[in-house]
Amino acid sequence: MALNLLLVDDEEGIRRFLGMLLKDLGYAVRVASDGAGALEAIDSAQPDLVLTDIKMPRMDGIELLKRIKSRWPEIEVIMISGHGDLDLVIQCLQHQATDFVTKPVNEDILDAALRRVAEKIELRRKLSEYTQNLERLIKEKSDRVVELERQMAASQVVDALCQALQNLSDEMREEAGYNADMPCYIAVHNRLFEVVSTNRLYRERLGDKRGRCSWEAYADPARRGFDNPVCLTFKSGKARRSREMLLALTGEQLPAVVYTTPIGCKEDRVELVLEMAVDVSEISRLQEELWLTQQKYQDLFDETPCYIVVRDKDYLIKANNRLFTRDFGDGVGRNCYSAFRHRTEPCPECPVSRTFEDGEPHHKESVVSTRDGREMNILTWSTPIHNTEGEIVEVMELSTDITEIRKLQDHLTSLGLMLGSMSHGVKGMLTALEGGVYRLESGLAKNDMTRVGGATESIKVLVNRIRNLVLNVLYYAKSREPEREELDVAEFGRMVAGIVEPRAQREKIVFSAAIGEGLGRFAVDSGNLSAALVNIMENAIDACTADSGKDSHTVALRVDGDEREVRFEITDNGLGMDRETKEKAFTLFFSSKGLKGTGLGLFIASDVITKHGGAIRLESERGQGTSFSIRLPRNLSAAGAEAGTAN
Amino acid sequence: MPKRILVIDDDEHVSSYLSDLLGDAGYETDVAANGQQALALLEKKRFDLMTLDLEMPDMTGPKFNKVLKRQGRSGDIPIVVITGHMGLKYVIPNAVAEFDKPIDREALLAKVKEILG
Repeated sequence: MALNLLLVDDEEGIRRFLGMLLKDLGYAVRVASDGAGALEAIDSAQPDLVLTDIKMPRMDGIELLKRIKSRWPEIEVIMISGHGDLDLVIQCLQHQATDFVTKPVNEDILDAALRRVAEKIELRRKLSEYTQNLERLIKEKSDRVVELERQMAASQVVDALCQALQNLSDEMREEAGYNADMPCYIAVHNRLFEVVSTNRLYRERLGDKRGRCSWEAYADPARRGFDNPVCLTFKSGKARRSREMLLALTGEQLPAVVYTTPIGCKEDRVELVLEMAVDVSEISRLQEELWLTQQKYQDLFDETPCYIVVRDKDYLIKANNRLFTRDFGDGVGRNCYSAFRHRTEPCPECPVSRTFEDGEPHHKESVVSTRDGREMNILTWSTPIHNTEGEIVEVMELSTDITEIRKLQDHLTSLGLMLGSMSHGVKGMLTALEGGVYRLESGLAKNDMTRVGGATESIKVLVNRIRNLVLNVLYYAKSREPEREELDVAEFGRMVAGIVEPRAQREKIVFSAAIGEGLGRFAVDSGNLSAALVNIMENAIDACTADSGKDSHTVALRVDGDEREVRFEITDNGLGMDRETKEKAFTLFFSSKGLKGTGLGLFIASDVITKHGGAIRLESERGQGTSFSIRLPRNLSAAGAEAGTAN
Repeated sequence: MPKRILVIDDDEHVSSYLSDLLGDAGYETDVAANGQQALALLEKKRFDLMTLDLEMPDMTGPKFNKVLKRQGRSGDIPIVVITGHMGLKYVIPNAVAEFDKPIDREALLAKVKEILG
């Protein structure tokens, strides 16, 4: 490396000659003609070496030497003099000149002097460099020691924390099962965003990230930079909590709740950040499982082809399924007996109430009507719902529509069973018939004609009663399609009215038949349909005779129709029915008439009408009376239809 | 003086039969078609026995019995239950006899004779 050299001499010739010589020796040379110019040049160019003449006007070489050394002690100065004056030499050396060269300048002597200076400069530079390096090294080493100590302290904190968590987890494991499945990854980060220390579980699951970037454990690419909980905590100095996805060694992503806390703060500067990530994948899985299970139960609840109602002790519906809502309306918040059975008070023998009492399942069969007026037989099962204390808080009732099953069962019921169900009705008739025979015989024997007359009347009525029963049983036992014949509607209506009228008169009931003219024709099974209508009208008469609440009673038959259908309306002002009786009215073996009823009549009447493609409806109010309305399609062949409208 | 029997049954054919049957056996009879009529007759006349049907339109046999009890008459007049519901035969605990329908005529007459002496 070429040394920078400043040559100072007042003689132009020496400046030029020495200047050339020094350049040839390989130095970079500047020149100055006096002391002031030299100081200026040094100030701007900072030469390594100054070569100066001693004898100069204004400021001599000695003076220049003093000034240089006082301001720039490291600059080497070589003095040049024409006099070999020892005093002058000593004076120069006292003022720290590096060397002394005499004029005329010997090239070799100058070169050797310059080399010595260069060596000295180089030595000094190296020394300075060593010193500086040593200082730096010492600083570096001691920094490292400090950092290591700090990290060791951090490791101890982590270890202690891990131990504490482990203890906590051990304690909790005895209480609850899944703490072991809820792993905690702990790491400490330094302010260079490097992982300093991790716990064992962190290393096992996420890998050994010590010395790696703080964000390497995060799966989300957006987090793999400075925007992650650790860096943000360094920045803000505040603890944070967030949900993150961590990247496992296996490549799988682990959902975790990450807590970051600044630790080791010094002068408002966060030194380390503690990162604790709680793996919630197990919880997520359990939550999902729970959700799925709940969904499954909800689906099951809603899609089960049964009516499901959950109610409390106060008869309030807490929940019902979709099918129930469809057929009975939303029941939640309503009373079960009103929503399901249109009653104003709890039903007798309620299986749900029994379950509340004894905690056992119960069942009951009943008849209900849907909101669109359909009737169905249902079988209800009740099951208790317990709370965690084992108390019954609610009861669930499952009701199945067994209308079809009942129909099937009904048809499969043997005649024997049927007679069993009707036995008391049959017994009543037999008793009365025997009575009639006894009175006839004894009347004849005693020649008591009044008794004979009464007995004969009794026997006639009873034979008619038994005849109806037998016909009903036969109809029931041999269920057949109607045998249709085309009839005049008005004629048919008058015929039916004629059957009932005498009995109504006997019972002192006003019977009226409003049968319009020009009602046309229809195709029906005359025997079955007349039996059905007579049955309904006889019921009307029975309802009037059993009612003592009115002065007079009426039974009215009205027949009318249009092109498509014929309508029969039978109205009485007898006893009337409550809602439950109304609902059971068409049910097999249901009778409200005690000994006189068999529970067959209305069931068969409704069956006959349904088989004709018609519909039967009843309106009734307890104490007010009952009204049946029957609609029958004309069912005419093309030719008959013409005749029907023509009439 | 002939013994008096009250026949209670809502089926007129049955009540006229029982009335004639007991009348032929030498008893005097009255007929009630329901509970109210029976109670009215019991107010007016003295009876030595009554036959009771369990199903009447205005009240059941047990209800009728309860009304009697309330009036303090229970036990005064022996009750013979005549019903088609043999399952219900013990619902009148103070009844002296029960008969199933159709009635065994001879057994009924024998029992009435035994009770009335």
